Amino acid sequence: MATTTASINIGSDIMSYPININKTMTMKKLASCHGIEETSGLSNKKFSATTAVILVLNTEGTAGKASKVYMRNTGADKANFFYVSLNASAAAADTTETIGRLHGGDWMLIPWAATANASHNIVVAPNTAEPMTIEWMVFQE
Amino acid sequence: MATTTATVSISSSDLQPGNRLSINASSRLMKTGLTTGLELMEMGNASIQVGSPTEHSLAEALGTADSANWVYICNTSTDDTYNTEIVINETVLGYLNAGEWLWMPWNNGDTAAEIEVQAIGGTNTLEYAIFKSAWTLPTATA
Repeated sequence: MATTTASINIGSDIMSYPININKTMTMKKLASCHGIEETSGLSNKKFSATTAVILVLNTEGTAGKASKVYMRNTGADKANFFYVSLNASAAAADTTETIGRLHGGDWMLIPWAATANASHNIVVAPNTAEPMTIEWMVFQE
Repeated sequence: MATTTATVSISSSDLQPGNRLSINASSRLMKTGLTTGLELMEMGNASIQVGSPTEHSLAEALGTADSANWVYICNTSTDDTYNTEIVINETVLGYLNAGEWLWMPWNNGDTAAEIEVQAIGGTNTLEYAIFKSAWTLPTATA
């Protein structure tokens, strides 16, 4: 059994009092005390077109499990971003399947139900043809 | 202008034998494509029960389309058999086991993008924080 931990720290002065969220989790199999044991490994891809592509294919995982996906826009320009969506085909502005945007330097870590259906593909699309790189890693049972 | 920073560290010494995993990243939360920080947020603690209603609305999508928003959710339950199903756009995103958290961007201007949660195994407790570009409160009922 592998032990994989992820820690988040969120610090903010939005409120009139300091916000400081610190949480560490051990990634476990669904409803289990045992740690996840498989991973895609850390990958990265450079884009130079706005075409949407499937970054994580639904068949990479097993349905009904507690998989996780980490992604990060490795750029620094906040004007350039990736649309990230849970979709069969494309990510684009304002589609119902768009989860959100990863601007330069932004990262995300989400649970992922790898249901064997194209609607559970994770799709990304750059907003610009300027070179932009995304890195990602899938953790699964 | 507010400053909000989110940092992650992911590590494992044995997930990839012979290749110690260590990922570290940090990001400052900005308004869409700008250099000014997000200035609105809500946070809370919730208890969700198994059963009717099956899915509970954690956050309604009442923001601006294609704006920068961020969501943190943690299942603070301690029983390993309790987990929370996370739903967005009426599609199951995934499951948070007891003690697990998520951090994700959220396109909260699309009315279909409501974030829903469902308790599995028992009554789950969640803590959450949502950082927003814009926030329109619902109209009060007469």
